[in-house]
Amino acid sequence: MSGPGKSAAILRADHIAGGVFIALGIAVFILGWNLPFGRLSAPGAGMLPKLTAGLLILFAVIIVATGAASEKLSQLPWSDWIHAALVTGITAAAVSLYTTLGFLITMSLLIFTLLVLVERKNIVGSAAYAAALTLFAYWLFAIALKAPLERGLLWF
Amino acid sequence: MEVLDSLLLGFSVALRPDVLFYAFVGCLVGTLVGMLPGIGPLAGVSILLPLTFGLDPTKAIVMLAGIYYGSQYGGSTTSILLRIPGEAASVMTCIDGNAMARKGRAGAALCIAAVGSFIAGTFGVIMLTLIAPPLANFALRFGPPEYTALLVLGLIFLAYMSTSSLPRTLLMAAFGLMLGTIGIDVMSGHFRFSFDIPELGDGIGIVPVAVGLFGLGEILSTPSRNVKTNVVSPKLRELLPTRTEWRQSTWPIARGSVLGFFIGIIPGSAHIISSFVSYALERRLSKHPEEFGKGAVAGVAGPESANNSASTGAFVPMLALGIPTGPVIAVLMAALLIHGIPPGPTLVNDHPKLFWGFVASMYVGNLMLLALNLPLVGAFVSVLRIPYAYLYPMIIMFCVIGVYQVNNSIVDVWIMLIMGVVGYGLKKFNFDPAPLVLGLVIAPIFEMSLRQSLIMSGGNWHIFLQRPIALVLLLICVVLLGLAIYGAVIARRDWRAKLAAAEAGE
Repeated sequence: MSGPGKSAAILRADHIAGGVFIALGIAVFILGWNLPFGRLSAPGAGMLPKLTAGLLILFAVIIVATGAASEKLSQLPWSDWIHAALVTGITAAAVSLYTTLGFLITMSLLIFTLLVLVERKNIVGSAAYAAALTLFAYWLFAIALKAPLERGLLWF
Repeated sequence: MEVLDSLLLGFSVALRPDVLFYAFVGCLVGTLVGMLPGIGPLAGVSILLPLTFGLDPTKAIVMLAGIYYGSQYGGSTTSILLRIPGEAASVMTCIDGNAMARKGRAGAALCIAAVGSFIAGTFGVIMLTLIAPPLANFALRFGPPEYTALLVLGLIFLAYMSTSSLPRTLLMAAFGLMLGTIGIDVMSGHFRFSFDIPELGDGIGIVPVAVGLFGLGEILSTPSRNVKTNVVSPKLRELLPTRTEWRQSTWPIARGSVLGFFIGIIPGSAHIISSFVSYALERRLSKHPEEFGKGAVAGVAGPESANNSASTGAFVPMLALGIPTGPVIAVLMAALLIHGIPPGPTLVNDHPKLFWGFVASMYVGNLMLLALNLPLVGAFVSVLRIPYAYLYPMIIMFCVIGVYQVNNSIVDVWIMLIMGVVGYGLKKFNFDPAPLVLGLVIAPIFEMSLRQSLIMSGGNWHIFLQRPIALVLLLICVVLLGLAIYGAVIARRDWRAKLAAAEAGE
C-alpha cells in the first residue's frame, strides 16, 4: 500500500549531487578514452585520470546509495539564487570585455552595474564609488606595485 | 647550538627594515582579511599572491604567511564583538567570546584572545624551529614510494578529520586529483582534457580554483540583505582582563598551544578542527562546564590559542617535506614555486636565509600582531562599518585582478568564475571544497611519484609494502580508514559531527 507521498520516491539532495558526479566521472572516461592507460611497469598518461574518475564514480554511488537521509531537494535554501545569477552574469560580462575595454573601463562598469542592478543603489553615488575604487586599485597595482594591468581602449 | 646559529641568521634577515615592512603589511592585511566576512585566509592569500610577484622570495613568503596567521587573529575580533566568524576557525570563539561581550567583557575577551594567540603562535614557531630541520633531514630518505604513501596518508587523514562524511571528502579529493590531471602529461607529452585551449596545457592553476571556490563562491551565496552588522567598539581601558580571568585562561592557553600545534601538522583544515577539539577539551576539564556557552573564559582562550598554534604547525610539513596540509598552505607553496624555490627537505640547506628568515619573521610577526590587535581594535572594527553591499563588488574586482595577474591569462579568470559557480553549488549540497583544492595541489606530485614507483618496481605494487617507511604510512592509512568506517557504521555523533553541527548552526 504505497501511496504517492512515500519518502522512498522523493528525490533527495544527495541523489542529485551523486548523479552529477557520476555523470562527470563517465564524461571523463569518454573524453579520456584515447589517453593510454599503459601497463603497471610503464603507466601511461591516462592512468591517473581514469583511476580518479573511477574513484569519483565509486564515492558518488555511495553518496547516492546513502542519500535517503539527506535533505529533500525542495528543502535546500535557494533564496539567494537571483543574487548569485546576477553577480555571475555581470562578472561574466566583465570578464568577456576585460581584454578589449581594459582594466579601468571594465572594472568601473562591473562595480557600477553590481551596485545599481543587484543592490539598487543610487546611480550617481554608485558611479562615484565605482570610479574612485577603480582608480585606487589602478594606483595600487599599476603605479605603486608596477603590476601591468590591461589597457584595452585606453592609452595609459 | 646549530639551531641557535641558524636562528640568528634568520633574525638578521627578518629584522631588515624591508622584510619587517612586508611582515607588517602581511599582518595588517591578514587582520583585515580575518575580520571581513566573505574573504577567509585562503581567498585573502590567493587574491594578494600577485602583489608578491615583484618581491624577492623571502619578502613574498613573509608577507603571505603574515596574511595567513594575521587572519587567525582578525577572525576572533568579529567573533567576539559581532558573533560573526570572519573565518571558519573562529566559529568556536563566537560562542563564549560573544557571550562575554554581552556581559560587558568584550575588551577582556579580545585581550585574552590576542594574548593567547600570541603565546600559542610563539610556541608554534619554537616547535617549528626545533622540529622542521630534523624532519627535513629524515625526509631526505624518502623516495617516490614513500612520497606516494605520504600523500595517500594526507588524503586519508583529511577525510578522517573532516567535518564532512568520508565518501564526501574522498569524492572531493578525487575531483581535485582529476582536475589536477588537466594539461600536458610531463612524462609522455600527451595533452589531457585541454580542448585545444593552449592555456590549459599548463594545467589548472591553484589560485583561480581557490579564489573561485572560496572567494567568489562565498559572495554568490551571501546576498547583502543577509549581512547585518551592529558594530560596537570597546574602549582601550576596558581591554585588561581581571586577575581571575587571567588565572582562568592560563591553562587553556597552554593546552590549546600544544594541542593546536600537533593537530596543525596533520593534513586537513587543522586550525578549524583544533579550535573545536580545544573547546571540547576545556569543557570536559572544567569544574564548571555549565558556564560554557554563557561566557566561559576558557572557551575563548583555548580555541583561540589552538587555532593559532595549528596554523603555525601547518608549516612544518610544507617546509620539511614539501607537502601541503591544507589549501592555504598549498597556495603558499605555489607562491614559493612561482619564485623558483621548491619547498621540501632541501629547502633548509639550499636556501637557509629564506628558511630561517621566514621562521624568524614569524616570531616578529606574532609580536606585531599583538601590538596591532589590542590598541588598534577600535580602528579595525570601524572597517566593519563599510556596508557589505559596497564591500563585495570590491572583493570581486580584487579577485579578477588577482587571478588575471598570475599568468596574465583571461582563461584563468574564466576558470575562477566557473569555480565560483561550482563552489556555490557545492555549498548548497553540503560539500566541503577544501579537499578539492588539496587534491588539485598534490595531483602532479602524486602522479609523478606513483608512476615513478611503478616504473622502479617493474610494475610491482609490492614496492609500497617492501619499503619500511611507505609500509608504516600505509598501515596508518588502513587504521584510519578502519576507524572512519567503524565510526560511520555505529553512526555515533562524535566530535566531528558536533563540529559540523556547530558550523551549520553558526
